[in-house]
Amino acid sequence: MELVSLGIKSIFIENMIFAYFLGMCSFLAVSKKVSTAVGLGAAVIFVLTITVPVNWLLQEYVLKEGALTWLGAGFGEVNLEFLQFIMFIAIIAAMVQLVEMIIEKFSPSLYGSLGIFLPLIAVNCAILGSSLFMIQRDYKLSEATVFGFGSGIGWMLAIVALAAIREKLKYSNVPAGLKGLGITMLITGLMGIAFKSFIGIAL
Amino acid sequence: MSTETLEQKNEEVVQKPAEGLLSKRRKRLISDPLNEDNPITVQVLGICSALAVTVKMEPTLIMSIAVVFVIVFSNLIISLLRNLIPNRVRIIVQLAVIATLVTLVSEVLKAYNYEMYKILGAFVGLIITNCIVMGRLEAFAMGNKPYDSVLDGLGSGFGYAWIILTVAFFRELFGSGSIFDFKIFEAVGISNFPTNGLMVDSIGAFMVLGILIWVQRSKTGYVEH
Amino acid sequence: MRQSNGYIILFTAIMTVIVGGLLSLASQGLAPAQKRSIELDTKSSILSSVMDRKELKKMKPKEVLEMYDKRISSLVVDINGDIVEKNEKGEPIVAEEVSILKNYKKNPEERLYPVFKYMSAENPDKVESYILPLYGAGLWDKIWGYVALNKELTTIVGVAYDHKQETPGLGARIGTPEIQGRYVGKEIYDEQGNLVSVTMVKGEGNTGLDSHHVDGMSGATLTGKGVNVMLKNYLNYYQSYFKKVKSGSVAAL
Repeated sequence: MELVSLGIKSIFIENMIFAYFLGMCSFLAVSKKVSTAVGLGAAVIFVLTITVPVNWLLQEYVLKEGALTWLGAGFGEVNLEFLQFIMFIAIIAAMVQLVEMIIEKFSPSLYGSLGIFLPLIAVNCAILGSSLFMIQRDYKLSEATVFGFGSGIGWMLAIVALAAIREKLKYSNVPAGLKGLGITMLITGLMGIAFKSFIGIAL
Repeated sequence: MSTETLEQKNEEVVQKPAEGLLSKRRKRLISDPLNEDNPITVQVLGICSALAVTVKMEPTLIMSIAVVFVIVFSNLIISLLRNLIPNRVRIIVQLAVIATLVTLVSEVLKAYNYEMYKILGAFVGLIITNCIVMGRLEAFAMGNKPYDSVLDGLGSGFGYAWIILTVAFFRELFGSGSIFDFKIFEAVGISNFPTNGLMVDSIGAFMVLGILIWVQRSKTGYVEH
Repeated sequence: MRQSNGYIILFTAIMTVIVGGLLSLASQGLAPAQKRSIELDTKSSILSSVMDRKELKKMKPKEVLEMYDKRISSLVVDINGDIVEKNEKGEPIVAEEVSILKNYKKNPEERLYPVFKYMSAENPDKVESYILPLYGAGLWDKIWGYVALNKELTTIVGVAYDHKQETPGLGARIGTPEIQGRYVGKEIYDEQGNLVSVTMVKGEGNTGLDSHHVDGMSGATLTGKGVNVMLKNYLNYYQSYFKKVKSGSVAAL
């Protein structure tokens, strides 16, 4: 039950985009068409669901102070936390590469439309952010997995919704200076207000 | 410019009289990203890690300094190594360099400004995925000389810094009624200034940035199609 | 040549060694300073529950640490109020190093509970107040802090709350002296001697509150609830210890 609540929380209330601004670059760049947004969203969910638990294991059994005790009692004092950033990003980059190869093999059309955005997932703040938050909040492995998956869903939800709005936006008369990024920012803000209505829902 | 660059200028002139240290081209490397080619408002990069810390001026300033440091040095290092880096692993090499610098920043912060380390939390680590840093490495440092890369890094860094500082200025002013934690409205005699809750929320950041982009683009005449 | 597998492997190997070496060097070099910062942070937040925050901020790090050493004497107890001196491995336990967060994840019966005794300035053997750590969940994320009780263990003499990310301007106000000041002088037991804790009420500007209630924060009812639960839970965990102190069986410590 707690896991369900955590999942809901990470999808709606603590949405990566609306509450933490994470993954904004690709969020803004790839939200012009719903179909590509869905593809990228799915890729983000996939990468997040894998990397967060993998990084959790890495932290628990390699990086944390005293994590290496399974190698022998002499390693009890070792603290490799200073390698945290570099290890996490390496895992993420490797996972992204893997996803890229899988998509290329099974869905060349999606691969074509996602194109240069796939490597960008590696520098998608939502991915690294989830791993760092997971550490900060001291999640257990099961919680970390749910959190990664939930954050991915939340991110996808946000980008697909924005893409749908932007498709309609093409037909409206926006002031020249606001076209593109400006209006997208304002819309994101308004969507954020909508997501605020989930605050305080206790499950 | 500081005396440091002036000294460098003399050296450079001796070595390479062909191009002055601050030739027109090089000045543009710094000035363009500040306005016409701003990384945030025009190139749409690096918005993520920035906005989350802009509730108050002080953490924003620390964040800006950290980002400028990381951009400049990663640009320099990658530019020095650009002829050695194998193409196939260049992304991971770039990430490794950035992650190393960011770890250094975070460790130093933890040692000497623990207060800020607590406030910025995970967001210092997120400089790694700040697209500006990666973007500049990929687009500039991989193909240019070290000195030019440093200038480019400074330009992009400051272009980023002034935007997030501006956003933070408005958010702290209207959201908390203060600047750098100095209660500005109380100081001028307005004790019951109604602070706007929306401004301290993430939503305020989107709004302020959206309007900032509007103002800037109306001035430069840049229109997206 | 630059694209051959051999070169790539060599390059990455050298790179790994350099980066790893550099980082471990930096981490080793900065470790003492980091440890000091963390120690100072813990100690000043413990002191802030019994001292004026502004005054504390004005003090130099060294003065804070000296003050702490002089005035605070700490111990660790378990849920039964018995003093714990060594962990399972037989190493001595330092109260300041007990992670409240890590203990929070365990069952209340298995946790370690540090107690910080604020000693009188004139007589270093006399306890002036007892400072207890607190930990709980706010609206968004964790909240924590310290509560200081008078030497009879009945009245709050000060609280210091902190939070990860309560809503700025609303729930985040629990970190301000304005809210924390409201707790001073409130009583935690009713007339029959039952623990009732101190509850923050809903809404702001309430008048005529008794000695077990404090005024709430408008727009931050949920954070207030989190604070209430946290305070009551932790006061409850220390009840056995309190009883022992009152009966005098551990007074000598």
